[in-house]
Amino acid sequence: MTDTPLMTAIELYLTLGVAVFLLSLHGLMTLHDPIRRLIAVNLMGAGTFLVMVSLARRSEVPDPVLHALVVTGLVVAISATAFALRLIIAAHTEGGKQRDREDRNTEGGGKQPP
Amino acid sequence: MNFALLSLAIPLFSGLLLLLCGRALRTRITGFIAIASTLISLVCAWFALQEVAAAGTSLLLNLGGWETGLAIRMRLSSLSALLLLFTALMHLLIGLYAGLNRAGINRDFWALSCFLHGSLAALWLSADLFNLYITLELLGLTAVAMVALSGKKAYRPAAHYLILSLAASLFYLLGVALLYGRYGELDVLLLAPRTEADVTTRLALLLMTTGLMLKSALWPLHLWLPPAHASAPTAVSALLSGLVVKGPLYILWVLWSEVAPPALAQQIGPVLAIAGMIALTAGGLSAMRSPSIKTLVAYSTVAQLGYALMALGLLLTWQLPQMHIALWLFVIAHGLAKASLFLAAGEMQSSLGTRRVAGLRGATQTVPVAMFAFAVAGGSLIGLPPSGGFLAKWVLLEPLLSQPQNWPWALGVLLGTLVSAAYIFRVVALSFDRARINPPDINPDRVGHWLALLPALMVWGMALSGEWLIQLLAGGGV
Repeated sequence: MTDTPLMTAIELYLTLGVAVFLLSLHGLMTLHDPIRRLIAVNLMGAGTFLVMVSLARRSEVPDPVLHALVVTGLVVAISATAFALRLIIAAHTEGGKQRDREDRNTEGGGKQPP
Repeated sequence: MNFALLSLAIPLFSGLLLLLCGRALRTRITGFIAIASTLISLVCAWFALQEVAAAGTSLLLNLGGWETGLAIRMRLSSLSALLLLFTALMHLLIGLYAGLNRAGINRDFWALSCFLHGSLAALWLSADLFNLYITLELLGLTAVAMVALSGKKAYRPAAHYLILSLAASLFYLLGVALLYGRYGELDVLLLAPRTEADVTTRLALLLMTTGLMLKSALWPLHLWLPPAHASAPTAVSALLSGLVVKGPLYILWVLWSEVAPPALAQQIGPVLAIAGMIALTAGGLSAMRSPSIKTLVAYSTVAQLGYALMALGLLLTWQLPQMHIALWLFVIAHGLAKASLFLAAGEMQSSLGTRRVAGLRGATQTVPVAMFAFAVAGGSLIGLPPSGGFLAKWVLLEPLLSQPQNWPWALGVLLGTLVSAAYIFRVVALSFDRARINPPDINPDRVGHWLALLPALMVWGMALSGEWLIQLLAGGGV
């Protein structure tokens, strides 16, 4: 069997892809900073795409359908990331911070600053 | 060109048009274009429904003319035609409100609402797992952009919503990749006869279900919904709660009732039904204790989705056709009622100058029409006859009551009804407290109030067309 080492390499990449997905899912659930959470989501995407690309390599001629799906997925991921960054930055400008303080004050049960 | 495709293409192209040259036009004209395109789309959806009813079976739309296996197919079933009609109707009602109420709306609303309409229409028509992923992403991105329309205070909930929505899509995508790796198919109709109950399929379905449940805020993955929906502008909240959460629910239904092997569907059914029952109670209790009006309405969405989830779970467990009818009747009745509830809540909030439920004292006297809309729409959520909500609940309860071993489920439904009644009557009772009236800050906007009432009247009118709807849904769900 000449393609046995190829199969094991694919299995390695599949495992890596799933590991990256799970690690970044852990990050998404435990982190609080929105930028870090966004990076975690991007890494989840990377894990998913790694799984898809390794699945495509199982045959001698790589499966073009999965490649097309990955390319589409990348386009979606890039535009969504750009949008998310813009939103996060806008929320963190001065007005956003002020709003943040107001929220904390009203939730704090009447401990208003003088 | 097919009518269903027209119903999808018209809002999509008018959305693009408004995006490209919306800045050059006046806001009035932008709104007019959006509403006109929704109206044309509504008419097309009606003709598509006639077409599929005449054919008696679902039609496959082969877009590029490619052969089966290579083509990305779309499918027009009687259910998707009905959902097309429902989407266009909701957009029309909410668009009319957004265009004619006194406060007006951000001009970017119109392009985004057209895109939302287009992506939902594409979702109902898709019969390809990856195409469904694309429509999910379109829906998510548009919805987030619409939440952000209400300005700075909404940016943080919008960013949170976006990150969760992206994560949920990736769960779905990983599931799609696993299914493709196992079977080499993405087309729902080609995949359906081939699926087997093995480990890969289970894992893939579980991943996709998690993602979709997160996207449609089904218990226990609902926590993002109340802040996102409550912070959006009023018309957007109505669209999000009434329509957007139903998209992933449709995919969930396609996945389990068509793609999954029946043995697996029967295993997951009770789990989904129990989650639905818990959603009903937990969401209802949160709505009951919520201090602000819009959060109350948003939590009521979490609770009401419990009915739909329960109907889906029982459909999968018993494979009963009545549950299929109940599921989609719930979706339509809830959409119309929730639109009315959000519009009325937004109107009362701006007239009375308060976000708090306690500020609604004496609302029957100060803002009678909006309060009437709230109560009438609430009546449908509770399931008072002869509303659309009653129709759906009756179809759901009938098979539950006829068999004694199903009575625990019926008890769950009744408990949910009781909790819904509690949070609706909490508001209604306060509004009759005429001794300590909270006077309105501004003169109430009559047009806005009457337009908020319109969807509520339609949901009560649903009972009149109940037989037609039931026959349509029974005729060919798949």
